[in-house]
Parts: sequence; C-alpha cells; structure tokens
Amino acid sequence: MDSTQLKKVGPYTYEIPADWRPDMQAPARLLADADILEAASRDRSLEQLVNTACLPGIVRYALAMPDVHQGYGFPIGGVAATAAPDGVISPGGVGYDINCGVRLLGTHLLTEEVRPHLDELIAALYAHCPSGVGKGGAIRLQTRELRQVLEQGARWALKRGLASEADLERTEGEGCLSGAHADCVSERALERGRDQVGTLGAGNHFIEIDAVAEVFDTRAADRMGLAPDGVVVQIHCGSRGLGHQVCSDYVKRFQKAIHTHGLRLPDRELVCAPLSSPEGREYLAAMTAAANYAFANRQVLTHGIRRSFEQALAGKVSRHSVFQVYDVAHNMARIETHRIDGHPRKLCVHRKGATRAFGPGAPDLPPIYRDIGQPVLVPGSMGTCSWVLRGTEAAMEQTFGSTCHGAGRRLSRRQARKRFKGVKLRQELERSGIHVRAGSMAGLAEEAPQAYKDVDRVVEVVHGAGIARKVARLIPLAVIKG
Amino acid sequence: MTEKTDRPTASHHRTPGGKHSLQNDIRREGFFEEIEHTADVAIRCGGPDLETLFSNAARGMYHLMDLKSAPAGPVETETVAMAAADVEGLLVDWLGELAYRAETRGLVPEQVVFRRLSDTRIEADLIGRRQHGFTRVIKAVTYHDLSVEKTGAGYIATVVFDV
Repeated sequence: MDSTQLKKVGPYTYEIPADWRPDMQAPARLLADADILEAASRDRSLEQLVNTACLPGIVRYALAMPDVHQGYGFPIGGVAATAAPDGVISPGGVGYDINCGVRLLGTHLLTEEVRPHLDELIAALYAHCPSGVGKGGAIRLQTRELRQVLEQGARWALKRGLASEADLERTEGEGCLSGAHADCVSERALERGRDQVGTLGAGNHFIEIDAVAEVFDTRAADRMGLAPDGVVVQIHCGSRGLGHQVCSDYVKRFQKAIHTHGLRLPDRELVCAPLSSPEGREYLAAMTAAANYAFANRQVLTHGIRRSFEQALAGKVSRHSVFQVYDVAHNMARIETHRIDGHPRKLCVHRKGATRAFGPGAPDLPPIYRDIGQPVLVPGSMGTCSWVLRGTEAAMEQTFGSTCHGAGRRLSRRQARKRFKGVKLRQELERSGIHVRAGSMAGLAEEAPQAYKDVDRVVEVVHGAGIARKVARLIPLAVIKG
Repeated sequence: MTEKTDRPTASHHRTPGGKHSLQNDIRREGFFEEIEHTADVAIRCGGPDLETLFSNAARGMYHLMDLKSAPAGPVETETVAMAAADVEGLLVDWLGELAYRAETRGLVPEQVVFRRLSDTRIEADLIGRRQHGFTRVIKAVTYHDLSVEKTGAGYIATVVFDV
C-alpha cells in the first residue's frame, strides 16, 4: 500500500479510513513517524492492518504500533478490540506464542561489581535456564500438576517454593489470570508442555543481563528499583510448545466455525468466532490457560536466575539478591473495561506484538505502581539498547491501553542469514563488550541487530504520541540465546 | 495408491532467485524453495501429483528445521491418518503433524508410504529412525497466504511457518 493513502490525524498518527475497502468494519490507524510509515508501506503490514479492521464487532479502529511489521493474519504490532454482542475473538490476533512476554528483574549490583564475574554468571545461567529447540527442563509434570500450572500460573510456582508474593504482585494479572480451563487444552498441548516449564526455547527468545544506561524519570525509576549503572536482567519467552499447540488447535477448529457463524474474512489466519459462542469461550479459556503456563515458565526461569546469581556471585559481592520489577505479556487477548464515548465498555483487546500500557490509577495495577502507571518493557535487538517505559492515560484514551513491544524486524530471517555470520557477529558483539552464549550460530545470525529497526526511533514515537513515557534505557552486558 | 519417498534432504532444493520456469520446477524431483517473509519463514514447493507435493512440502519444512544430527537407533514405523475440509487444510495438518512428531519424538521419516491421499484425507506410514537436535523450531504451520494450485504440470503450494 502506498503511504500517501494514509491521512495524518495526529503528530504521530496516520489513518486509513473505513471506506478504503468495502469489507472494513472500522478505520485503521498506524502510530508512526514519516520513516516508519514509509518502511511499513514496503511490506504487507498495512494490508494486514486493513484486514484486521475487517473483524466483526471491532470497536473504534484497528491499530498498529510503530514497531509494526508483516506477520500472518494480524500484523506484528497489531491491536484490535472487539465487543459483544457481535464481537469476535481471533487466535491469529494473539499468535502461536501465547503470552510471549518480558520479565524485568532488578538487583542491588553495579556493573563494575558484576563485570569481573560475567563469565561465571553466564555459565551458571546457561546451566540453570535450559534453552534450545524443543528443550525440556528439570521439571517434568504429571497431568494433575500440569493442570494446576494452567489454572494457577505463577501462583503454582509460589506453592512450589519457586516464587515470592512480591514476584506475583509485580506480574500482569498477578501471574494468574482467571477464566483458565485446563479442560479446553488438548492432550497434545499438555504433552508438549509437560517438561517445558522453566525453559527458554529458541528463536528470538533470550535472557539478557543489562546495565541501566540512563534514567529519564527518576520518580518512576526509583519506584521500580532502577538506578544509573545498576544491573538488571530481562527474560523474553512465552508458553513454549503448549501455547503453539493451543493456537494451532483452535485455528484449525475455527476454520469450520467461521462457516457456522457465517463470517467472511480476507485471510484464513484471521479466523475468529463470536465471544459468546462455545468455540469462542473455549478458546479464551484455553488461551488464558496457556498464558498462565507462560507466567509460570518465566517464574521458574526467574528461580533459575536467582540460583545462578547465588552460585556465581555469593561471597564475591555484597548483595546478590534479585527482585522482580515487572512481567508483562505482548501476545495476548484480555477482557478489559475501557471508556468508549464516555461510557465503560467490556472489550476483548487483542495485542499481537503489542504491550499493555495501563496508565496511572488503573485498578489492575499493583499498589506500588498505581500512581506512576504500569511498567512497560521494550526489549531492543541483541547488541542495542532496551527500554523501560510506563503506561499513560493517553494510551487508555487512544490505544486501549497499549503500546509497542520491541524494535520490529527490518530484514527477513533468510536475508539476515545471508548477510551475517553467527560466529563473526558474536566476535563483533564481544569486541564491543557484550558477552554472547548461543545454542545456534545460524539462529544468532537471524537475530543480528541490523535485522531489526532502530528501537530508539520506535520509543521516540510512542513517547511523542504519549502512549508510553520513557523511564530508563538499558544496554546489554551479556546475552543468552537458545 | 502407494508411493515411496526417499528421506527428506535439502540437496534438491532450488536456490531462490534462480531463473527456472515454474512448470519445470514442478516436474523437478524434490522441488521446494524458501521464499521471503519478513517475520517468519515460507516455502514454495511443488510436484506432478499430490504425493510428491506433500513429500516435497515435508522436505522443505525439515530443511527449515535444519537437522543437526544423523538418524540413530532402530527403524520405526508410525502411521498418520487425518482428514480436513480442503487440500490446503490437509497440507497444514500434515506438516503440523510431522513437526509435532519431530519435536516431541525426534521422528524424521526416511521414507513416507502414502496408503491413501486425496484432497481431504491422508493415510501414510512414516518410516525412519530418531533424530534429535534442530536448529530452528517450527512453532506452527499457518493458514496465512496458504495456497495449493493445480496446474497443467501438477501442483504448486505456498506455506508460511511461524518460527
């Protein structure tokens, strides 16, 4: 789509009107600057955004965040809210990696205290946080306990002694979303999830040790326990094979459901069912169960990280304890209440490659963050910086409380593999002071920093548009990839 | 109908960007190629008949998974039987089933024997040994941009994978 076909309706907001294509049910909006808009028009992001605006029961508009890029069904960076009675839920609007998300852990350490011990720390992390394709972990769950994981999420880990109450309090939905039903998850999905709690996986998932390079909002950073030159840890992963299977199962089932409900869609990957239908309700319950699994997964990884800090740093530094800053999803559908035309309305907000960014005062926030807004975690590409932001009232008004989730890909994985070599890339990163441990050099090449857009630019747009505010910028010290 | 297919290998696949006619590609043994997709990976594959198409789609997917180890242990046979509403859906189900068995059991067939294959139903024996270790996970086989077209020379298909 030609970028000139979009109308500028705000300093960082472009709109495709609802009459641009006859099957659109609402306008489509992109948060961008001129360069991001131009880049989005070069692949199929905008066409996919228009397709998203065709979902029955969509409210106000379909949205794309500035880290938008071509996906399948929804664009990555897509947000769509639907409402009963016509509103639908779409598994393709969540994605296969249900509750893929980011957890940020804080420490009381400064970079100079950790740098001399980075090699030992990375080795310990690699040992305690299993990674790699299809990799299982130390915990193999019997069906009864796996069902508890699905229905209790990170709260299951608390009972197992792998979490603290403070960890749960500082997790989206306290790490235990209501409405999850293990009965709606297939046997095959259970089988895939049996031994993957506490594992990182592969692809773009990582554990990264970072330094706080810059603080922009002292009050919010203080509240989150972030200070200049402090050491923090990011975890990026999701619901592993269990989540992939839940999505596959329901995308297949919904291929039939769209005929049952008389729905016509421009892309089979956008299949959906009314929220009120048996299929819709069961998908929501299964997706929520997979989301809880992902919260438990990141919680067990957190336990592995704490053990690693203990093993590598005990007796060498004064305080090696690790505390949770926040954990937030960026592939999820949530039933939320938003004000539409001045009235509260219950919506199903799909965020696919977009982060919840609730503003100050939102009732879902833990008390510690209620007056500053929800922490938003935006990982950059490997070797560049990441960002900690906070949610705003403007996000509640304009984007259903949503903002960006990362840098967004610029090159395809195939292009990245052709242009970069994993071994050379690792050497370059290590020369610039970033330690790298990766299970696959080809996989490392696909995640080269140059394959991604400039995360700073993405953050400038969301900050400028007011749908999140800068709190701190992080720079990497060490990266572990599957 | 029974067709035996050799072990999937990357050796037959075409270099993207080469100048080949699609009709010739369809006829060529083991035809698949990786095509561009910004976030994920996609293949185009073909064959003069459905059996060859489904075999080549499997070859393409295993190529994307990038096997790291040689097959080991005794030869095993597993059976696949599934039905779908249309041939595109059947191809998604077939590849999803193979990806699942590769991830969970390490089964990568050295030979596929199709006992029955129509647009909506497949029954096949997967014969091979276990292989563990893939470079890339196939999270899912998607319906996005999915196509199976019948041409004068046979079938051509496009499949996008979430990775």
